[in-house]
Amino acid sequence: MIEQFCDWLSRTGVSVAFQSANWFVPLVQTVHIIAIAILLTTVYVVSFRLVGITRGAQPLATLSARSAPWIWTALCVLLASGILLTITEPARELLNWVFRVKMLMVSALAAILWMVQSRMRRNPQYWTESPVRRRAARAIGIAAIVVGAGIVTAGRWIAYV
Amino acid sequence: MAVEQALTWLQNLNFPTQIRESDWLFPTIETVHVFALVLVVGSIMTVDLRLLGLTNRDRPFSQLAAEMLPWTWVAFAVAASAGLLMFSSKALIYYGNIPFRLKMCCLLLAGINMALFHWIGMRDLETWDRKQPPRLARFAGGTSLLLWTAIVAAGRWVGFTT
Repeated sequence: MIEQFCDWLSRTGVSVAFQSANWFVPLVQTVHIIAIAILLTTVYVVSFRLVGITRGAQPLATLSARSAPWIWTALCVLLASGILLTITEPARELLNWVFRVKMLMVSALAAILWMVQSRMRRNPQYWTESPVRRRAARAIGIAAIVVGAGIVTAGRWIAYV
Repeated sequence: MAVEQALTWLQNLNFPTQIRESDWLFPTIETVHVFALVLVVGSIMTVDLRLLGLTNRDRPFSQLAAEMLPWTWVAFAVAASAGLLMFSSKALIYYGNIPFRLKMCCLLLAGINMALFHWIGMRDLETWDRKQPPRLARFAGGTSLLLWTAIVAAGRWVGFTT
């Protein structure tokens, strides 16, 4: 089923056009890497604050609110460039188990970020107002750091598995 | 000639040979390289965008730089170490690769740009720390943004030509 879809997609005019331009994949990958640079750096700066590794001049809620547009814009650029790469080489991505794990981790990270941000939008002190919340923030921050690293790792290993 | 001899010696060392012959060492080191470089690029671009006056305008430049630059330096040390290991595994091939040479030139230029900004552009920092940076600082920020984009592009291009 997925094999047939990949086969069909790789024969479409768009896919063939992308495949025949040898500059297309490196160019889109460059955009993809710059977007992940912005996403991962922003996520790490916020997560390190959540865990309590770093301290910053601005309150956590302010930092989170400011970084939110960057996070979601970068994620949209990643999705768009990722779709272009998948159209170009469907089988390389869709039939690869590492790619599937990567997509699961991307969904997990998006869910974590949404939860962290939405709680603080309603209550800026949400993650710091009690010891339980502080422990939760620490665990969530560590999860975001690990999943973020996992996404980059899986992204590179798609090429090797 | 001396360069080729030195690079041959380098890539025939024990660990570079292992990297070349192993199935998993190169991808693993490359993963570390990519992971670190995205943090280098992300943290530098955050500072560059502030220098251009596009983001974080209400935050003092010195405060933002002090929070971001530790990320840059730690990640750069990791990315450069991993990069050196990757280079050592196929030193002669990388040495002759045009995109690789371009990438190294851009890295050198980015370093010079940063040093010049540090020594000259930041002299009058107190006058613009909380405002739109002056033309020289904006120029340094824009140059850095372009150079790091070129470094990423050239780096990806190396992967397709070696």
